[in-house]
Amino acid sequence: MVKIAQISCGTDYSGIQKEIEKAAETFGAQIIIPEADLNYIDEAYKKFGFNAASTGIRLMIARATSIVEGKTDADAVFIATCFRCAEGALLRNEIRRFIQKNTNLPVVTYSFTERTKADELFIRMEALSTIVARKSLLAREKQEGLTLGIDSGSSTTKAVLMENNKVIGTGWLPTADVIETANIGMEQAFNETDYKLADVDGIGVTGYGRLRIGHHMDAQLIQEELSVNSKGAVYLANKQKGEATVLDIGGMDNKVITVNDGIPDNFTMGGICAGASGRFLEMTSRRLGVDISELGPLALKGNYRKAALNSYCIVFGIQDLVTSLAAGGSKEDVAAAACYSVAEQVYEQQLQEIDLREPLIQVGGTSLIGGLVEAVSTVLGGIEVIVPEYSQYIGAVGSALLVSGLGVKK
Amino acid sequence: MSQEESSKFTRMIILGPTANISQTELVRKIHMMEIPLTIKSTCYGAVINGEEADVNKAVEEIRKLDPCNIFTKDRGFPPGDPRRCRAKRGGAREGFHQLEKEFELLGHISEALEHPKKVSLKKPGKISVDTFKKIAEESEK
Amino acid sequence: MKIAIFPPNSLILADLIERRGHEPLVLQKEIRKRVTDAEIDSPPLNITEEEPIKGLKYAAIEVPSGVRGRMAIFGPLIDAAEAAIIMEDAPFGFGCIGCARTNELSMFCLRKRGIPLLELHYPTTKEETMEVVNKINTFLDKLEKLEVSNG
Repeated sequence: MVKIAQISCGTDYSGIQKEIEKAAETFGAQIIIPEADLNYIDEAYKKFGFNAASTGIRLMIARATSIVEGKTDADAVFIATCFRCAEGALLRNEIRRFIQKNTNLPVVTYSFTERTKADELFIRMEALSTIVARKSLLAREKQEGLTLGIDSGSSTTKAVLMENNKVIGTGWLPTADVIETANIGMEQAFNETDYKLADVDGIGVTGYGRLRIGHHMDAQLIQEELSVNSKGAVYLANKQKGEATVLDIGGMDNKVITVNDGIPDNFTMGGICAGASGRFLEMTSRRLGVDISELGPLALKGNYRKAALNSYCIVFGIQDLVTSLAAGGSKEDVAAAACYSVAEQVYEQQLQEIDLREPLIQVGGTSLIGGLVEAVSTVLGGIEVIVPEYSQYIGAVGSALLVSGLGVKK
Repeated sequence: MSQEESSKFTRMIILGPTANISQTELVRKIHMMEIPLTIKSTCYGAVINGEEADVNKAVEEIRKLDPCNIFTKDRGFPPGDPRRCRAKRGGAREGFHQLEKEFELLGHISEALEHPKKVSLKKPGKISVDTFKKIAEESEK
Repeated sequence: MKIAIFPPNSLILADLIERRGHEPLVLQKEIRKRVTDAEIDSPPLNITEEEPIKGLKYAAIEVPSGVRGRMAIFGPLIDAAEAAIIMEDAPFGFGCIGCARTNELSMFCLRKRGIPLLELHYPTTKEETMEVVNKINTFLDKLEKLEVSNG
C-alpha cells in the first residue's frame, strides 16, 4: 500500500479530512501523519528558520523535517493549507521545496476550502499514487522505438507517432465519438509515414476518453493528463530538470501545472467563464472576419491599450469588442485586446492560486496564437514563456514518450 | 456508537510532580470508591469515563486524595479512541503536546496552592512625565 | 459562574477555576458533542462543511475555512461566558488553537464582550507561576463577591 504522509493545517476544522482519506483510499493509498514530539517540534522549527505565528504551521514544519530526516516512512507527501491563509500559502511552498530538495518523494500541494470534495482530490491522489508506482517510467527522458500517443480531449483529439525521439506523424480533429475520432486521428498520423498500426511498439493514451480508447486498443499505458502533460511539456521544451510551470489555455477550460524535474506537484483546473478560454478568441476571430490562425499575428501588431475590453463575461466581452470596432478601433488593436483580456482572466482566476515558477511552458492549441502568448508574458510581468514545437500535441507526445519506457513489443 | 456511550464523560486525572500518591495508588483508590466508572491507568495518572454525575462525584473525591497535587481536565474523545490513537495513525494527538508543556509548571502551581497569597490585580500605571523627566535627568548626571 | 478560558483547552486554567466551584467553559466539552455523536459523518472531529458556515457568525466568508470552522466550536463558549481568563503566549497549542488568526479573533471577541476579564502571560519561572496562580485565585474571589452582591 502506498503511504501518503499528510502535512497540513486546518483540514479537520474545515471538515475535509474525511474527503482526503477517501480520495487516498480510492487509489489504494493510506494517509499517515508523521511523528513529531514536543522537543523535536521546537528543534525542527528553529532549524527551518521561518517564524510562523500559528503552531499548526510549526507542526507542519516538524512533520516535514521528520520525513526529510527519515524518521517517518512515507512514499509520497500531500501538503495542504486553507485557501486564503497567507501564512499557510507561504509555508506550503517552502515546505514543498524543502521536501523536494532533500528527498525524492513525489509531492502534491493543495489549498482547500470547506467545499473541497473528494472528487477534486482524486486526480491529485491518482497522480501521487501513479508517480510512486511508476517512478521509473516518469524518469524517462527519451523516446525510443516506434510509439503512438493519443490524447482524447473534451473538445479535440490528438494523435502523434514518434520514432527514435522524433515526432514523425500527427493527427488532430474535433472530438465526436471517442473511438471513431481516435481512429481518424491515428490514420492522419500514420498517413504522414509508411508505418501502420501493427508496426508500433507501444500505445499510450490520455485525456478524458483514455479509459474507453485504452481498453478498446489494448494500450500499454493509460494515464491521467496531469503527469502526461507535465512530462510532454518539459520534454518538448527541453526543461526536464528543475522547476517549470505548464499552462494550457484550452477551448473550454484551462490547466496550470507546476513541475519539479518533470514531475507535477500542483495544478489548478477549470475556468469560471468561457471569456477566459480559447472559445472567446475563436469568437473574436469570427467577428474580425479572420481565421483563428491569423488572430495571433494580427494581435502582435496591435496595442491592447487602445481598445477597451473590460468585460469578464463572454457575452459582454463580444459586445465590448463590437463597440470598440464601431468606435474606429483597428482590427489589430481589438485582436490584441482580446488576447490580453483572456490572459488577464487566466491570471486572476487561476495563476494566482499557484506558485508560479519560471520558465512558463505554454501548450495546447491556443499556444499557437502568438498574441496570446505575448499577453500572458505581459500580464506576468514579462516572464519567460516558452512555446515548444508540437505544443498543440502535448498530451499525445507525453503518452508516446512514456509508453516507450514500458518496453513492450506488440 | 450507542446512545448510552455518547452520554458519557471523560476526565483526565493528572498527578503533579510533587504528588504524595503514586499512580498505582491513585487507580486503586479510585476503584475503591465504588463509583460506576471505567478507569484506565496512563502515563500522567488516570483516565476515568462514566456518567456525568458519577464522573463529577469521583473528581471531587479524587481531589481530596491530594488537593494541591492532583489536577484534572475534561477530555473530548473517549479513552483509546482510534481516531486519536497514536498507534493507529502515527503522530500524537493535538492536545498531548499542550499537556506535556503544562505539566512542566505543575510543581510550581502546587506550591502556589499550598501557600496562597492575595495580590493586586491592578496593572501598574504609567509613571508621570515629571517622574520620568527626573529619572532621565538623574541618569544624565 | 461560567468562565471562558484561553487557551480553551488549558489544564491549569480549567483546574484552578473548578477548584473554586466555577464552571470552566472548556473546548473539550464542545469537541465531545461532536465526537460522540451517534452519526459521525466526518471523522475525526465530525466537523462538516456546516461548521465553517456557522463560523460566518464570527468571521466573513473571505476568512479561511479553518478559522471559521474553529470559531464554530469556540464561538459558542465565548457567547456563553460570564467572565474570562486569557493567558497569552502559551507555548504550545495545536489543533483547535493551532491557528494564530483564530486565536487573535477569539481573544478579541472575549475582550469585547465586556465581562470581567483577567489577562495573564504564560509563566516561565517559579515566581511568575506563583504570581499567576495567586492572580487567578484573587480574580475568582472577586467574582464570588460579585455573584453574591448581584444576588
